[in-house]
Amino acid sequence: MVDERISVFVIAEQSDGGIQAVSLQLIGKAHELADELDSKVGAILLGNKLSNVAQRLIEAGATQVFLGDADILAPYQAELYTEIIVKLVDEYRPEILLIGSTFMGRELAPLIAARLETGLTAHCIELEINPEGFLEQRIPAYGGMITIICPEKRPQMATVANGVFSKPLLDSSRTGEIISVDIPEDFPLRTLTLEIVKEEVSGISLESAPVIVAGGAGSGDQDGWQQIAELATILNAGFGSTRPAVDAGWAELETMIGQSGKMVNPELYVGIGISGELQHMVGIVGAKTMIAINNDTKAPIFEQVDYGIVEDCRVFVPALVKALKEKKPYLGRTTL
Amino acid sequence: MIDFTFTEEQELFRKAAREFAETKIAPQVQNMEKTNRGWDEVVKELAEAEMFAVTIPVEYGGLGMGYVARMIATEEIARISVATAMMYQVFGLGFEPFIKFGTEEQKKKYLPKFATGEQLATVAVTEPSGGSDPKGCSTRYKKMNGSYILNGRKCFITNSHIADAQVILAVDEENPEAFTTFIVEKGMEGFKPTHEEHKVGMRGCNTGEIEMKNVSVPAENVIGGEGKGLKVAMACIGDVGRGGMVGIAMGLQQACLEAAVKFSNERILYNKPISNLQTIQNKIAEMKIDLEAGRLLGYRAAAMQDKGGRTSNEFAVAKYFTTEAVQKAAKMAVDIHGGYGCMEEFPVTRYLRDSFVVGPSAGTSDIMKVIIARWALS
Amino acid sequence: MNIIVCVKAVPDPRVADKLKIDPVTKSLPRLDIPLVINSLDSHALEAALQLKKKYETQITILCMGPPLAGNVVRECLALGADKGILLTDRAFAGADAFATAYTLAKAIEKNGPVDVVFCGMASSDGATEWVGPEIATFLGLPVVTMVREIVEDQGLDWIVNADFQGGYRKVKLKLPAVLTVTRKINQPKALSFSGIIKARSKEITEWNREKLDIPADRVGLKGSPTHVTDMTDLDSRREVEILEGSLQEKVERLVQILCDAGAV
Repeated sequence: MVDERISVFVIAEQSDGGIQAVSLQLIGKAHELADELDSKVGAILLGNKLSNVAQRLIEAGATQVFLGDADILAPYQAELYTEIIVKLVDEYRPEILLIGSTFMGRELAPLIAARLETGLTAHCIELEINPEGFLEQRIPAYGGMITIICPEKRPQMATVANGVFSKPLLDSSRTGEIISVDIPEDFPLRTLTLEIVKEEVSGISLESAPVIVAGGAGSGDQDGWQQIAELATILNAGFGSTRPAVDAGWAELETMIGQSGKMVNPELYVGIGISGELQHMVGIVGAKTMIAINNDTKAPIFEQVDYGIVEDCRVFVPALVKALKEKKPYLGRTTL
Repeated sequence: MIDFTFTEEQELFRKAAREFAETKIAPQVQNMEKTNRGWDEVVKELAEAEMFAVTIPVEYGGLGMGYVARMIATEEIARISVATAMMYQVFGLGFEPFIKFGTEEQKKKYLPKFATGEQLATVAVTEPSGGSDPKGCSTRYKKMNGSYILNGRKCFITNSHIADAQVILAVDEENPEAFTTFIVEKGMEGFKPTHEEHKVGMRGCNTGEIEMKNVSVPAENVIGGEGKGLKVAMACIGDVGRGGMVGIAMGLQQACLEAAVKFSNERILYNKPISNLQTIQNKIAEMKIDLEAGRLLGYRAAAMQDKGGRTSNEFAVAKYFTTEAVQKAAKMAVDIHGGYGCMEEFPVTRYLRDSFVVGPSAGTSDIMKVIIARWALS
Repeated sequence: MNIIVCVKAVPDPRVADKLKIDPVTKSLPRLDIPLVINSLDSHALEAALQLKKKYETQITILCMGPPLAGNVVRECLALGADKGILLTDRAFAGADAFATAYTLAKAIEKNGPVDVVFCGMASSDGATEWVGPEIATFLGLPVVTMVREIVEDQGLDWIVNADFQGGYRKVKLKLPAVLTVTRKINQPKALSFSGIIKARSKEITEWNREKLDIPADRVGLKGSPTHVTDMTDLDSRREVEILEGSLQEKVERLVQILCDAGAV
């Protein structure tokens, strides 16, 4: 039953009647990695009402899909998911196990890693098999990039955010197997997700915004932040932030762009009061035009953008807003 | 000999004081500058943050933290708002006669209320006829049926309009060599604050004049003993008043240095930050040297004070040095800012104005030198 | 109630960006950056302090770090915790999240019975978010991550709200448990003078590897399944044009650039 050729596993996640985008992206990447290892990809999917969904994983590149489709598996229940997945992994002994850095993934991954007593790297932006056959996991840190490996323990585990890897082509001619997993009955749950409550999200979604204005530590204070917010409104732009801005309380964590936040791919990016730390910059993928406003000539961001303005943003941004308003008086007045 | 480092606990005090100043006092500064008011808000914040309890002994509701702690607190507050720090330091000055010279009844009656900020205090010595020469005071008292009748005027008094209890120095009408300090309270008939000052700096710090017209003060309000007034006044002003000014001057100096460093690192001329220019570096070095030296003088005196000694002379040196230094530093900081140094949006202009007022407070530099010379010559 | 708050002493984020990989030596230079309490851990401590207001509680701070991290523990005591444990030993250095969580879990076991373990959901340096859940697994306790609100906290059956996709999830849990918290959960209170004075009489105990009775190959670098094998410089350069001229000239030029890019 178990396909011996599988050595790369992906824990996929359902979303409102479909599959999370990151899960498909990871299957695509897993396929690449498996090819290097001369092996195949397996996917684990737990949830409910999944009958039409599992096939997509095969179309994306999975050879086997281990499916748990039951009411008790939705919403996500940490202990039950951990139990099922750990059992599967113990049986399969894969080389590599990948999980998307979704809310679920960020809790589930360490639970699994700790049970399996293996290593885990968070928010990777690159994955590669090295000549020794190890999985190289790369993350930005300290102004550069560090490479991590897990030489002895197995599986080598990594989480990856949505948007780091591209969506694979779905090939409906691909075949694979869907295998039902054993769901333990009467498993004692000490934590129980009772329900998931949706909240209204205001503002433009960062992931789809063609123009993004992002503010960082250099905004100075709440007033400076408001000025940048005004610029974002005028340009009809998504308004993102960096970790220092979130830490300072000016912005919500959901607006943070970067390695452990959101990956974005706008046409135009304007970074204000942002030094250019790699953790943030890796969150911006494929922008056509990048602009930075910062009062420090030595800021690393000035090597990563097309246009740089060395000015105090608290002086420059209001002047810019004024000029834009004069040019197009109706700017920013349209509501979305 | 000496360990020049602060203890872990003192570093924590500083952290707490800095966080307090940055989060609670900073938002009030603009308003205080604009309106020359706003003391109610900062007094409330100071009380909530237990700032008033710092030098008041534990047995009277205070924290008994001592004078080094007081200096740390004053320094951190001044870095954000000199006006607030000035009022704060003078409140502390107002407590001191009670702490050092009060009777048990007086301590029990006033100190607990001072510690919580329920009541505010100040000391009033200066008069139009002179502050530097307290003996020249013309506010006088006459003993009458066990009470004292006070007549006179005091000026340049910090917290004049908001203090609930003021320790006032007066001369015996019948004996020009006898001075007594009295506790005069808000509401006493004939006592009232009159004119409010409009200072060029320390805006939002309550400064004004008070007037006594036949104020009847009961005997239990004599503090330190009849005839001992000069001793009370000079001990408190000499140690605590000057000590407070040292804290203020150091805090303001730190603010000047930070502003100068920030601006010179950000201002680009000739494709480089101006902090690369020697003339700018020269000014910054001077500010830094003075700050290092001032800190040693100030904290040395405060540490001696905590040990229990008289420190008026050491504080005279520290007060002279730090208040002179901060006036220089403020001017240098303004110069470094170039044209921006004349614009109200830049805090350095406020620092400059504040530094003028720091100079003569609690004794002019000239008087400090007289005192220091006296010390050296004795 | 026995509460443990796991606290990490991190380089002050306001100056931490000075810590950069040296492109030549490919290692981190030693810099004197002050250590402060990881900001999310302040929220974890505040959550414990709020419980202390309602119930009979003992709050123990647990911190793994160099001896200097003791200042951070002392600060937590000044904020209201009852006692502190500092895990410090050269052997702990180089620990990844797994080894860190293992060491912390062993210390929690040694400390005695626990009802709740609070952690900040992530640290400002590292930010793996792993330590809380891994501690829970090693202790055999359930965990809920990204808690933004404690709705019910009486007795052993709690209800919490935790951040989740598109909103939040309502979770029922049975103590003892591990909770990792987000910024939304509370507003940490300020350091007070009286708190600092009260902390004088509170104890900080130091434990090393031997005291914890953990074999050397389970802590620090040796106990870490993951290793860093390479550090490289950043590599995302573009040809930049720094705009010249007066403020107004730059503003005008930028407006033009924005128009050309189609944003206006």
